[in-house]
Amino acid sequence: MSEFRPTLRPVLGTKQAVSSATLKLSPLPEGTIIHVLARPGEQDMAPFLESLPKAAGHAVRPVSPGQWFIVREEQMPHQEMKSLFAALEPRATGVDQSHGRVRIRIEGKMAARALSKGTALDLDPSAFPVGQSAVTLIGHIAAHITRVGSEAFEIIVLRGFAESLWDDLARMSLEFS
Amino acid sequence: MSSYRLPKGGLVDRKAPLSFTFDGRPLQGFAGDTLASALLANGQMLVGRSFKYHRPRGILTSGAAEPNALVTIGRGGRTEPNTRATVQELYEGLAAQSQNRWPSLDFDIGALNGLLSPFLGAGFYYKTFMWPAPLWEKFYEPFIRKAAGLGKASYDPDPDSYEKSWAHCDLLVIGAGPTGLAAALTAGRAGARVLIVDEGSLPGGSLLSDSATIDGKPAADFARDTSAELQSMPNVRVMMRTTAFGWYDGNVFGAVERVQKHVRDPARHLPVERLWRIVARHALLATGAEERPLIFGGNDRPGVMMASAMRTYLNRYAVAPGQATAIFTTDDSGYALARDLEAARVDVVAIIDSRPSAGVDYRGKARLIREAVVCRTKGRKAISAIEVHRGGRAETIAIDALAMAGGFSPIIHLACHRGGKPTWSAEKVAFLAPSGLKDLDLAGAAAATTDLAACLAEGAAQAKAIVEEFGWSCPPIVLPKVEGTEGTHASKPLWSIPGVKGKAFVDFQNDVHLKDIGLAVREGYSHVELAKRYTTNGMATDQGKLSNVNAIGLIAKARGVSPAEVGTTTFRPFYTPVSFGALTGPHHGHQFQPVRKSPLHDWAKKHGAVFVETGLWYRSSWFPRNGERSWRESVDREVVNVRQNAGLCDVSMLGKIEISGSDAAEFLNRVYCNAFLKLPVGKARYGLMLREDGMIYDDGTTSRLEENRFFMTTTTAYAAGVMNHLEFCAQALWPELNVRLASSTDQWAQMAIAGPKARAILQKIVDEDISDAAFPFLAAKEVALFGGTLHGCLFRISFSGELAYELAVPAGYGESVADALMEAGKDHGIMPYGVEALSVLRIEKGHVTHNEINGTVVPADLGFGKMVSGTKPDFIGKAMLQREGLAAPDRAQLVGVVPLDPKQSFRSGSHILAKGAAAALENDEGYVTSSAYSPHVGSTIGLALVKRGPSRHGEEVVVWNGLHGESTPARLCNPVFLDPQNERLHV
Repeated sequence: MSEFRPTLRPVLGTKQAVSSATLKLSPLPEGTIIHVLARPGEQDMAPFLESLPKAAGHAVRPVSPGQWFIVREEQMPHQEMKSLFAALEPRATGVDQSHGRVRIRIEGKMAARALSKGTALDLDPSAFPVGQSAVTLIGHIAAHITRVGSEAFEIIVLRGFAESLWDDLARMSLEFS
Repeated sequence: MSSYRLPKGGLVDRKAPLSFTFDGRPLQGFAGDTLASALLANGQMLVGRSFKYHRPRGILTSGAAEPNALVTIGRGGRTEPNTRATVQELYEGLAAQSQNRWPSLDFDIGALNGLLSPFLGAGFYYKTFMWPAPLWEKFYEPFIRKAAGLGKASYDPDPDSYEKSWAHCDLLVIGAGPTGLAAALTAGRAGARVLIVDEGSLPGGSLLSDSATIDGKPAADFARDTSAELQSMPNVRVMMRTTAFGWYDGNVFGAVERVQKHVRDPARHLPVERLWRIVARHALLATGAEERPLIFGGNDRPGVMMASAMRTYLNRYAVAPGQATAIFTTDDSGYALARDLEAARVDVVAIIDSRPSAGVDYRGKARLIREAVVCRTKGRKAISAIEVHRGGRAETIAIDALAMAGGFSPIIHLACHRGGKPTWSAEKVAFLAPSGLKDLDLAGAAAATTDLAACLAEGAAQAKAIVEEFGWSCPPIVLPKVEGTEGTHASKPLWSIPGVKGKAFVDFQNDVHLKDIGLAVREGYSHVELAKRYTTNGMATDQGKLSNVNAIGLIAKARGVSPAEVGTTTFRPFYTPVSFGALTGPHHGHQFQPVRKSPLHDWAKKHGAVFVETGLWYRSSWFPRNGERSWRESVDREVVNVRQNAGLCDVSMLGKIEISGSDAAEFLNRVYCNAFLKLPVGKARYGLMLREDGMIYDDGTTSRLEENRFFMTTTTAYAAGVMNHLEFCAQALWPELNVRLASSTDQWAQMAIAGPKARAILQKIVDEDISDAAFPFLAAKEVALFGGTLHGCLFRISFSGELAYELAVPAGYGESVADALMEAGKDHGIMPYGVEALSVLRIEKGHVTHNEINGTVVPADLGFGKMVSGTKPDFIGKAMLQREGLAAPDRAQLVGVVPLDPKQSFRSGSHILAKGAAAALENDEGYVTSSAYSPHVGSTIGLALVKRGPSRHGEEVVVWNGLHGESTPARLCNPVFLDPQNERLHV
């Protein structure tokens, strides 16, 4: 079946986007997410990761001590990813999470208020400025939040929980939509 | 006469009339009314019946402490019993029903209880329901349960939604009265993030009831203007209709916001209530003070009201209490009420002051009776007269309303929620908050400051100190000028009143009266906590907001000690009742817990899968086809098809962990009890993970994809647990190892393709050669699919006992690949199969799951004794596995079991008895861990943990199930029912 071309089925592909003057909820393209895990005792790798030429158009999100996500909108070809992983060694290991995690964007004046219905994080810009990331619970679901703009957040969630989290976020946004 | 609406004044909107009903009677109020003020405006003074004696009760307070005016509002699923009429905002169409009466509020049969009252005192239950013992279950308990409670909850589902939210601030101000507003304004102007909450619908608290002027304007206008300025500040959030109910660790406050409890038809896009968790750097309690009742005979009769409440109804709601009012006071607040009543042209008949002199110069018309007390009231369903005692002489005065002012108790509840005990101040005649609280202060009346100007100054000063501590510079505070209020002095405590006649209530909601407290002390329950339980004083929905301090005063007096020595009962959340709906938030029904979906969920769905919840996952159980009448028919077909052709099963839920780093092999060697150090690249191995105590923790296959990169699978149920376990091992046990762990469960859509035709099907989509020679049993490697357009991992492992593979592909392509496999296998008879068939297949093959790995078994118990490495220097569980009991010959060990008669069956969980042995605990030989109908064997088969099981193959036993009354003759056998030589695996 070498003529068969497998098709990608985005997990939030059938979800209705939520959009109003004060809040917009949208699934981000299922592009690339690479989980980078530094070897024990390694220095901060964020500057190195941000300068990687192999992952042009990418952004780096801190996850936990010694761990980051590299994210980008486009899918990364298999060989390109392999060579990126090779470039990380031996300082770090790369693990492909492009399908294991899903990105959701929530933005608008009321985005932080809506998110506060699920997360205990203080999302005030003074406490959570642009570029800041944190792993948190949104309701009962573990998620990774990054402030990507003054009124915009990116949420990274395990694929299996993505639909459930989307439904929760849509409910939390109801009063602003 | 009764209460009535004044022709002018108040903060109600007379242009917005609202219709409502009380016990079906149509009435009218105005926007801005509470249900209580509207009832009083309509002359409805009788609003309920008391709990025990069914005494007629009226409206006692104007706020959260109300013990009497508890009504049921709403209909169907929105029915809300025990709603305090004093805090329920009036809305168009509100339907209120009185409670605890039959057949009607006016004529209540239950009032006969009053005649039995000599027998119903404190401790009545404890003394009466002890004998005869058999009557407890049959009579007493049902009777008590029926009598308990006031309103009745609805059985209909609640149609409304609830939600939860978090908030963060530098300063949380609780209470938007004068103190709170001044504090919030000061901190807000300094630039701090301020959150101010108040349970009322309007900011202002006592300002809304005060006749004073502030900076030349009415106090209510000052509250409105201050609130407007606060709302205009981006750094300040004003949350009305929000009750802060508890103070928790980390300076987190719980609060409930009544978003839509003041409307008839809640909007669908909003919750009716919202539960807040507020994280505050610092908090200021500006919660005010609660006025205490006075304890005289008939102090519960409709028409008797707290003086501060009467002032609120008069000034805020323009409701006069009656035509002839008396005021019984122990402090100066009674005179402010008299002044306001007279200004509103409401006749004040008398002021009865227990003190020889007042702190204010009263020049009104009322007759002033000093050094006097009210010892009882008269009337039936409303007060008609009071009996006043002065210097040994009694005088009866006809009135139709009585205010009582027994002094104020600071509202300090939240300050005591984290274990601190209040301290008694003889000077302030009040319990004050514990000192030295971290990140929490009190100001204003909550700190026993009673003067309005002083409250404003204190709120501002405390807020200034707090925000300056945080580093903000505070603009100079300009205090407003307060006029028209008099200085107040602490009340003269009057715990008990000489010459009291009739029932003098201490706790109105629980019908605890003066004699009950005395009885408790006499019978040895004089400790405040015991007295509470013995008398029920301070229990129920109001939690003794009005009664506790009086009860403490009475106990102190009876014991001849100070209230300081008696102390208070323990303060705990919630300050006022919080609905279960608010506590539950959105997490009920289908939102009770998240749903975790496999990437093949929709693929399974389109093939007609019946799903079963396993943890949060939805797994496909079986795939019924037309004509199949039971799940068994479907499962049998799926099993037979795997054995004869091929099947495809979604196993994406198995935990998957990528383990990498130069010490990954060593790490696994220590985690598993069997050897992993020398596992070749390209090979999978079954591994057993033990707990420290030697018992098996989890099992699964781990494959070496590269020299320093392994792919571990765990069981579905233990995926998160194993990940945590590995992290603990890596971070805490062996930090010296270079190993990294990444959960990749969700990255892969993983499918088992099992059956003799599995290879032929798979080879159509896999680019590499997967012949037995090139890809033998337990091979594992990354493969290219569809001519290199996709890459995945292929493992030649088998849970079914057949030639089988597990293929992992990136999750987003899972459905597409499964479709391709179904197409590729169409001519080979491929069918989807679910976890039921998976289970039958593995039981036939004698494979174990957590049915067998149940926390009580060591490897040898399951026939894995030889897997345990004897040469590794160490692994988790090694030391404890050496305990002699774990090698005892009579341990329960894995064995197969089949019924002697193939037509008979048995269930998992049934016990094994030796043939002929009685069904008794001492004869228990073990139990069935897994069972299923096996199409291969043609009968039910089971796996069991049985004492000395492996040496008893062929022995006849009885499978006994006491719960179902089943007893099945059976035979123990080899647990591998199919292909014990594993020939099918290696084809």
